[in-house]
Formats: sequence, C-alpha cells, structure tokens
Amino acid sequence: MATTTERIARREPIDATAPPQKPRKRRKEWLLPAYTGLVIAYLFVPIAIMILFGFNNPAGRYNFQWEGFTLKWYNPTTLLEYEDLNDALINSLTVAIVSTLIATALGTLIALALTRHRFRGRSSLNLGLFLPMASPEVVLGVSLLALFVSINVPLGLVTIIIAHIMFSISFVVVTVKARTSGFDHNLEDAAGDLGADPWTAFWTVTFPLIFPGILAAGLLVFALSIDDYVITSFNAGGATTIPLWVYGASRIGVPPQVNVMGTLLFSLGLLYVIVSLWRGRKAEALAPPVGKG
Amino acid sequence: MTERNKELERLMAAMPRRAITRRDLLRRAGAGAGALSIGAFLAACGVEGQETDPSASGEDTYTTQQVAGTLNFANWPLYIDRLKGRSPTIDDFEKQSDITVNYKEVIQDNESFFGTVQEPLSNDQAIEWDIIVVTDWMIARMIRLGYLEELDHSQLSNFEAHAGEIYKDPVYDPSNAHSVPWQSGITGIGYNPELTGGEITSFDQLFDPKLEGKVGMFKEMRDTFTLTLLSNGVEPQDATIEDVEAAQKKLVEQKEQGIVRNYYGNEYADALLRGDLAATMAWSGDVFQLQFDNPDLQFVVPEEGGVLWVDNLAIPQNAEHPIDALEFMNFVYDPEIAAQITGWVNYICPVPEAQELLVKQSKTDGRYYKTVAESPLVFPTPEMESNLYSYKDLSPDEEEQWQDLFGELVQG
Amino acid sequence: MAAKSERGRLTPYLLTLPGVLWLTAFFVVPMVTMFSVSFQEGNIYEGYRFTGHWQTYTDTLGSYSEQFLRSLWYGLIVTAAVLLITFPMSYWIALKGGKRKNLFLLMILLPFFTPFIIRTLSWKLILGDEGIFLGTLKNIGILPDSYQVLATPTAVIAGLIYNFLPFMALPLYVALEKLDPALLEAAQDLYSNKRETFMNVTLPLALPGVFAGSLLTFIPVAGDFINAELLGGVNTTMIGNVIQREILVNLDYPEGAAISFLLMAGILLGVFLYARALGTEELMG
Repeated sequence: MATTTERIARREPIDATAPPQKPRKRRKEWLLPAYTGLVIAYLFVPIAIMILFGFNNPAGRYNFQWEGFTLKWYNPTTLLEYEDLNDALINSLTVAIVSTLIATALGTLIALALTRHRFRGRSSLNLGLFLPMASPEVVLGVSLLALFVSINVPLGLVTIIIAHIMFSISFVVVTVKARTSGFDHNLEDAAGDLGADPWTAFWTVTFPLIFPGILAAGLLVFALSIDDYVITSFNAGGATTIPLWVYGASRIGVPPQVNVMGTLLFSLGLLYVIVSLWRGRKAEALAPPVGKG
Repeated sequence: MTERNKELERLMAAMPRRAITRRDLLRRAGAGAGALSIGAFLAACGVEGQETDPSASGEDTYTTQQVAGTLNFANWPLYIDRLKGRSPTIDDFEKQSDITVNYKEVIQDNESFFGTVQEPLSNDQAIEWDIIVVTDWMIARMIRLGYLEELDHSQLSNFEAHAGEIYKDPVYDPSNAHSVPWQSGITGIGYNPELTGGEITSFDQLFDPKLEGKVGMFKEMRDTFTLTLLSNGVEPQDATIEDVEAAQKKLVEQKEQGIVRNYYGNEYADALLRGDLAATMAWSGDVFQLQFDNPDLQFVVPEEGGVLWVDNLAIPQNAEHPIDALEFMNFVYDPEIAAQITGWVNYICPVPEAQELLVKQSKTDGRYYKTVAESPLVFPTPEMESNLYSYKDLSPDEEEQWQDLFGELVQG
Repeated sequence: MAAKSERGRLTPYLLTLPGVLWLTAFFVVPMVTMFSVSFQEGNIYEGYRFTGHWQTYTDTLGSYSEQFLRSLWYGLIVTAAVLLITFPMSYWIALKGGKRKNLFLLMILLPFFTPFIIRTLSWKLILGDEGIFLGTLKNIGILPDSYQVLATPTAVIAGLIYNFLPFMALPLYVALEKLDPALLEAAQDLYSNKRETFMNVTLPLALPGVFAGSLLTFIPVAGDFINAELLGGVNTTMIGNVIQREILVNLDYPEGAAISFLLMAGILLGVFLYARALGTEELMG
C-alpha cells in the first residue's frame, strides 16, 4: 500500500506542517464546544432524573415522587428480584446487538452499491428504501405477525430480531449514503493500480473512509432496537424486552430496579467514554489514529 | 355471504346454547379466516383449520383430560405476589400439585395482547399459553370469537365455595362458563382536595368549568362512556345508541370548554400525584398506591354509580394443558392463597374471606397488611359494591358504533 | 479486463442482494398483503372479504385530513428545529472533535439506550404544572398560574425534538466529517470571510448530511404516535395515533391499512420532491 493513499484515506493533511492558527481566530473558539456541551447536557437531563429516582425510596409502588434516599435497589438481590425483568434486559441487549450487526452490514452493502454503481432498478431502490421508514409501526407489526403465523414460524427472539433488522436497514442505508455520496472512486482505483486486489482495496481504503458513516448508523440502529415497543410487541411471542416489560409494568408501577438497570447501562457507556478520553490523552503522542476517530 | 350468515345466526339462536360455537358456524360458512390470511396470499394453502368437534360441554373439547405436569401462564408484569424474587403462590402451587409453572409476564395491555394472539387463534392454531389474564370485555370478545375453552366447573370447587357473589355469573361471561376472576378494580374518581377545593361526590363535578384544564378522562372507551351514561341516569346494560350519543355530546362539550386536560391511559396516575390534575377518572388500585405518596388523595365511587371491572383467568382454545390450568384456577380461590396474592398486588380480591385472613396477618406482620385489609379500595364496602355496574356487553355492531363515537371525541 | 467488467456488472446486484431479499421477505410481502387488506370490507367477527372497496381511501382522507396535516406540520417544525440545534454541534464534533469524535457520537446516543417511558416520565416531572421548572417561574410571577406545557402541542413537539435529535446529528456529522481541515484553510485564504467559506465550502459538503438527517427525522416524526400519546392533550392527535387506534382498538384493519398507505404515499412523494429540489443526482446517488 502506498502510504500517500493511506494518508489521503485518513484525511490527514498531506502537508504535515499545517499553517499555525492565526491569533484572531482564537477569540470565539470556546463558543462551539460550549454549545456542544450544552446540547449534550440537555440530552442528559432526563437521564439525571432517571438516575436520581434509582436512589428513591418510594412509600407505595409508584416511583413518581422523591421520598428519601436509599441504596437498596443497588443490592444485587433486590436489583435482580424480577426474573422477567432480568430476562427482558438480556433479551433487549441480545436483540439490539445482533440486529445492529446484521442490519448495519446489510445496509452498508446496499449503500455502497447505490453510490458506487449504476444498475437497473437503482433509482427505484433509492426511493423504495424510504418505504420501511415511512410505514407506521403498528402496520409493520401486524403484517409481519401475520406472515410469521401463516408460515408457522414460532414467535420469540428470532422473530424480534428479524423485525428489527427489517426496519433498521433503511436507516443504515440513508446514514451511510450521507458518507458515500460524492465519494472519490479514484482512491480505490489508485489502490487497484498500485496492485491491491479489490478486497484489500476495500478494507484499506474504502472501509476507513466510510467508517464514520457505518459507526453512526450502527449507533442509531442500536438505539432504535433497544427502544422499540410497537413492532416488538406483535412479534415477541413468549419473549419479553425492556420496553415491553416496562410498559406492561407501568399499570402496577414501574419498580426502581428499572431505573437502576438504565443507570448501570448508561454508566457503562459513560465509563467507556471517560476511560477512552483519558487513555486517548495519554497516548495521543504515541498511537496512530484508530479508524477515523 | 351476509345472507348466509344471517341464516346461520338464526340457526345458532335456535340451538341449545353450548351445542355449537359461533366459530364453528362461521368456519363452516367459510368466513372465519383472520383479516390477514397471508397464507392464502402466499400460496393456496388456505386457512382452514381442523374443525373442533362440536360437543355438549367444554370438557370434551380439551386437548387432554390428564394433568400434564406443565402450566404455561401468561400474565401482566408484577400482577402476582412477590417475595425475594419468587412468587410464593406459584411456589406453593408447584409444591402442592407437582405441576411446573412456566410463568411469563408477556401481557402489556388487552389490545396489543389480542393483536398478537388473534392471528393464530383465528387460524385455529394453539397459542403457547394455558392460562391468560385479560379484562372482562376482552373475555366477552374472545368468547364471541370462540377463542376460549369452556371451564369444567366440576374441577373448580374452591371457586364455587369462596368467590364473592358479585363475581359469579357476570354479564360478560354468563355462569363463568369461560373465565374466573383474577383481580378486579373500580373505575371511579380520584381527586386532590387541595386543588379541587372541596369534596367530590358526583361525576358531574368533572364537568365543572371551575376545574378548567385540570380534569382527566380515560381514553378507555368503556370506562368513559359507562360513567357518563350513569351520570345521565342510564343503566349501562340498558343503554341505547341514543343514550350513548347523548353521553358523547356531553363529553364533547366538556372537551370544547377546555375542562379536559387529556384522555389518559395509565399515565393519569403520575399526573394526579404531580398536581397536573385536580380530579380525574381513576382506577381504585392506582389511587390506593398513590395514597402512600400523598395521603390526601381521595378515591370515590361517584354517587351516580361506578364500574366494577374484572381481570380474568381463561384458557385459550386448544391449550395444551387445560387440566393443569383448571387446577391452578381452583388453587387461587383458596382463601389463604387469595389473601397472599392480594396482600402484594393490592387490587380488589374476588375472595371476600381473604380480608379476615389479612386482618389476622396484620396482627403479626404489622401496619402494611392492616392498611391493605382495611382499605375499601381493596375490600370495597357493601355500600360501594351496591353502586357498581358492569360494562355493557356490546354486540359487534354496538361496539363499532360506540368506538366511532368515542373516536370522534378523543381524536377530533 | 473483460472478466473484470463482467464482475463489475454483477457487483451491485450481489451487494444489494442480501438486504433486498430481507426486505422483500419481511417488508414487501407483508405490505402487499396489507395493501390488499386495505381493499377489504368486514369486521373481525364475520371475517374480512376482498371487495375492491377503494372508497376507504377517500373516506379516511376526508375524515382525518386534520390529523394528516398536523402530523406533516409537526414533522416540518421538528425537522427544522433539530437541524438548527444540531448543525453547530455536529460541525464542531466533525472538525474539532479530534480523537474524541466517536466518543461524542456515543454520548449523543447514550441517553437513548434507556427506556422511553422512563425518559418521558422524567420530562413530565420537570415540566409538570407545579414542577421544578414551571412551579418556580410561577412562584416568582413570571408565568401565570394556569400556564402549562404538558398536554399541549408544545410538549409534543418538544418531546419529538428531544427524541429525534440524534437522527439529525449523526448523519450531519457523517457528512461534515468529510470536510478536510486543509480545504477549509485554503478556503479561508480564498474567501474573505467565514460566511462565504461556509456558504461555498461547508454547506455544499454538508448537504448530503442535511438531506439524510432531515429524512431520518421527518419521516418517522410524521408517523409517530407515542409522543402525542404520552405528552399531548386533547388537540394533538397525530395520524399515527389514528392508525394505532384503528388497528388495535377498533380492529378495523382495512381502514388502518388505507390510512397507512396514504401516509406512505404522501411521504414518498415528499421525499421525491425534496430530492429533486436539492439535486437528485448528487444526493440520491
């Protein structure tokens, strides 16, 4: 591989000695990061409340009102008290991970085909891919259930995953296309000219280039999947997921354990972010950039 | 086709009541297929299931007459007693009966549960559950569609002995042929005296412009229409379509005057506690829980009358383990067990004797059980009970008309 | 060379095959059935019959035009708001995020890995009539006592904005991240001010992201029902709520299906026109 190609692929400035920033530009540089921080803080507001109410000690069965601090919901025995809730959490994670992987792969392939090739049916596919996104969830749920029942597919985790992949593919295609449109084919050709076979060319040139799109799509699909209620409720059979269980439980009162599980899931993600930031800072000078990150 | 259906219906009316189910007739008429008979679409495989042998009583249609040792039980989340991650009731049952219970909390609400089982049941396929829990009007619908097995009451001696009188022979399921109550509740009014500035006794007070924007109504058609009908002096079972139109008009006015804040599902409860609502239609069990958080909150059965709704245990058609299911149904009517369940769930218990047992328990286990045992929201007083009504058992046509009128109200 | 071009011709089909097969089996087939259902008549008790009754379409379009328009209107407001809110953020993350870029993406998505009901309940706690926010403003006399956010269109729109924010932020980021800082430097030397740089360099490169993001936001928002259900009031019914009710409560599958297909047709037409307006070739391709 030619290192220049690699560098282009990573969008590193070819001229390593980039001109120093002019002082006048520094004036308002705090504005955008501050704004970004503000938006993220806004996104975190309801999460803060959720976390807080994981420490609440409600008198009745409803966890609606602050009534005193307790750590009891964090006691593993109490936390895992509701078997079906535990199963639901595991199911939700399984479904989200599997459907994210498959949907992202399938969608990315379609996006690549759409942006890099001309073929019959391309424009209809382009437009038609918006249909699954435009279909009301309840109709998707009902009609898919009818299909499963008529061909005798037992309902359960597998049917949930099938459904989630189905409604996620379009989101992946659209997101990845935002990356691949206006894509410079010359880079891959250049790699080819330099002797790389298409497979190598894809993994060393194309993939790193479109990786931000794939990552973004994957995150979106994960969020879609882990929070889906309507379509899942039709195709779950004897399996249950967090949204299903929580919605059903809201009649009697969603127990604080749900807040704690949400908190733990959130903390795990946040911990990853913090550790990465910290390690990133330490390793900044040494490590080569990972992917496009 | 309608011609033929009419004739069949006439025939059916002439027959002994349980001789043949409507489902069988419809299937013979070739009209029993579900809406989305996709199978017929994909291939010519059709949707005809095997015909159930029409027979004189429920027990002959069971898939088995034996205890199978397994029970697949579909319930709503948190709708059974709990202790340290187990359900004592289920543990006791397993110990006593040698039946393994596969208990799953897979029902989120009546409508979506029906949506998921309707396809297989209408195609005469079994669903994986031996016992399901759904509300009375859904029981009526499922009976009408032939989705439920008849219960063999010879195996339900506890029910006969201990069920409260108001739970026997209900409108939605005459002589409890297909269902027995699990837990129940009252639809009435919940209010916050601090915000209403006084007592509420009548449903008409929810139409008072003084409470502008602070009144909650239910998006559950049957609850809202039934209470409004009662407030107009109409007995639900006698309600004609004109009565419902009048009720709807009254509700539309209430909405147009800006009195109604929203038509709520379960989420009215947090709105009432937060003070977003001053007075609202309410379910008794919820207010019982909310009173732990705010003891000032009140629940009343409107003087014009309230609704007693009942969640029931039922056996879906072609269930694999019907005898095990019957055994469980009988088991939960043991007063000790009924008290155990109600002690945790805090909804209205269909076994009146449970109250005494809970009072006894409160002497050793303290305040909590006393609160439960003494609350009229768990064990309604005879005066309350005498003012409670069931939803009208709606014919398919009526249901459509009522829902259309209600849809205009809540979505207009 | 001949072999290569042969393979080249097949490549796009091979790439799309798995995804297209999946969608055909689990989306197209069920939807075709649904389409035929929309021409049926009957009810659940007596069964449904295909009668070619197309009037369901015209009837429902007539009775629910208000909810249709409201949904489209909410969709437009939410899309515009989300675009304005997220653009500066996505821009900053894409260009100045450095090694932390992916972490920022993760942070934007993290809140959405928690149950919707819990998030919504939290918002209701904050925005309640007497809650920490409105209660305080009322106490110091800034707001009248009867002021409310919940159960109003504002609450529904705010809820939608919150919940669909990542669906704009991420595609925008994905497109903007292609911007070469070196290119920006060059542009800043070429154009006299930041505004011109933005209009001539940043914006054209961001367009695919704007296109993708606005579709990922507008389309699901137009069909959404849960925000109106939990945050709305008496006059916030969206078309998604109507469909939900037709199918789950009324069991009127033909009507629910017909409304859905009207919605889908409307959305598809909108996407087509939108793509045309922004330049199809570049964006759709």
